[in-house]
Amino acid sequence: MTEPIVQLQNLSKTIRGKQLIQQLNIDLYPGQITGFLGPNGAGKTTTIRMMTGLMHPTEGKVIIDGLSLQEHYEEAISKVGVIVENPEMYKFMSGYKNLLHFARMHKNVTKERIQEVVKQVGLENRIHEKVATYSLGMRQRLGLAQALLHRPKFLILDEPTNGLDPAGIREFRMYLRKIAAEDNVSVFVSSHLLSEIELMCDRVAVIQNGKLIDIREIHNDSSSFYYVEAQPKEQVSAHLTQLDYKFEAENQGYVIELKKEDVPALTAGLVQAGMQLFAVQPHQKTLEDQFLEMTGGGQIAEANSK
Amino acid sequence: MLKLIQNEWMKLWHKKGTWAMVAMLILVILVPGGIMKYYEEKSSDEGSWQKVEQQAIQNNKAMLAEEDLSEADKAYFKEQISISEYRLANDAPSQKDGSVASFMSFTSSMLTLVTLFTVITAASIVSSEFSTGTIKMLLTRPMSRAKVLTSKLLTTFIFGLFLVAVNVVVSAIVGLVLFGVGSGVELEVVNGQVAEKAVWSDLAYHYLLSGGDFVMSTLFAFLIGSVFRSSSLAIGLTMFLSFTGGMIIMFLSRYDIVKYIWLTHSDLTQYEHGGSSMIADVTMPFSLTVLAIYAILFLIISYTSFMKRDVTA
Repeated sequence: MTEPIVQLQNLSKTIRGKQLIQQLNIDLYPGQITGFLGPNGAGKTTTIRMMTGLMHPTEGKVIIDGLSLQEHYEEAISKVGVIVENPEMYKFMSGYKNLLHFARMHKNVTKERIQEVVKQVGLENRIHEKVATYSLGMRQRLGLAQALLHRPKFLILDEPTNGLDPAGIREFRMYLRKIAAEDNVSVFVSSHLLSEIELMCDRVAVIQNGKLIDIREIHNDSSSFYYVEAQPKEQVSAHLTQLDYKFEAENQGYVIELKKEDVPALTAGLVQAGMQLFAVQPHQKTLEDQFLEMTGGGQIAEANSK
Repeated sequence: MLKLIQNEWMKLWHKKGTWAMVAMLILVILVPGGIMKYYEEKSSDEGSWQKVEQQAIQNNKAMLAEEDLSEADKAYFKEQISISEYRLANDAPSQKDGSVASFMSFTSSMLTLVTLFTVITAASIVSSEFSTGTIKMLLTRPMSRAKVLTSKLLTTFIFGLFLVAVNVVVSAIVGLVLFGVGSGVELEVVNGQVAEKAVWSDLAYHYLLSGGDFVMSTLFAFLIGSVFRSSSLAIGLTMFLSFTGGMIIMFLSRYDIVKYIWLTHSDLTQYEHGGSSMIADVTMPFSLTVLAIYAILFLIISYTSFMKRDVTA
């Protein structure tokens, strides 16, 4: 495995006695898109603010490309592109002036580079108009443009697709995939839109109550599931218990953790036992199922409500 | 750093309020200038200036003859008489019509407006970034917070000095066009000798001394604006203190502590024309020292609060 570009080490944040983030350890790798999930109030935004230097951690470190963000702020942050929540721009200036403004704060961002980025995000026609006249989607595009100006190695996005239309979301997703693959950029995306994360990310980190509860790759789930519908149900569950399968009831049938090669044996067994078999099909657990399973439903983090 | 200041300057001039400030500043010079010119043309000639001076001498002598005159009053009338006699003897008429110099010493009072506008800018230059949320964009850049804040402070002062320059240049032009350089000599009595008044250096000194209030108010507004992130609070508090400052000093003048409050010292024009502070034993060097200490204090608080802050806007 390659060296991680970003490392969170024991990152903690306590505000007025409340532990918002506890001992967070996450590594992010180049070329990988990592999703950041958590229920409301879990500490996503706080974590992202600490990763961008907007908040100071109570304990622990953020290391970007080998440099501590706390000790070598300017150098470390120069490798990061950021969109925190809605990209707030100077509404009284044109989109181009906004980009010029941010470009001046980085080294080596030429006017040609600005034009290039404007073209990439598809704002050429409106770039010289005031930001106040932009739609939310256009502001998101401008937000992406300012984050990409200095060719960051690491891109942090907080709710990036908020306000984009379906075509825009799709385009945005393709674009992130492209820069991750081609420029080896590491991307960290927080979002509430689970389906979006599922389509976009290689990996998800899930936090709840300020603690990391899981971090996993999305697409190579080792265990496989099958949905089996047969009657009478009591006999089916007895049969499954007898064979020592893990299963749970869903709709009219059961979701069983089952290897592909065992499927014929199971169906034969059910039929031989005289049960009526209606359906056997592969069952894909969605990220939503997994997420709800991990976080135990939609409760707001306790630590915050106390 | 230059690029940061360039950025702040660009943002400043993209706000309509900035243009309105400059327009108002020009207007408060143009309009009174026009009115003064209008009345000057209407007023009729009152005979030769020699007659006027002789009349003045007689009047002043009559006043001197009065009883119960204080020493200061006596000295004043004597000075006036010697000036008038000097004019007659040396054929040096007084400044009858307006001149560019007299107009400019009138418009130098508009520096209060310059201070007000600079205070408004100082109060909002940091807090507006917070209220619009752009602070997140500004601080996630390879520029330390100290540099960002310094660029904002410097931009505020550059803007303030620009407004002073507008005030000086516009009054000079308006004064020259409407009144010309003027004919006549301003006189004053220095150490019992009648001498020509150094109009221009007096005026420059007045501008310099006005800098005390200008700098302190700006730093105070900048402090409140960056600590509380509210421009209205910063403007309101600064204005409140400058209006009630005199009263606060009066109220506290019985106590020694009044010497150590910046409000006592920020109006340096109290030392103009050989004047002294209304508080005993307070001299200009002492005032300058107190102001410098407060200025440093304001800056330390502004910087620490801005650099330590967790940005949650």
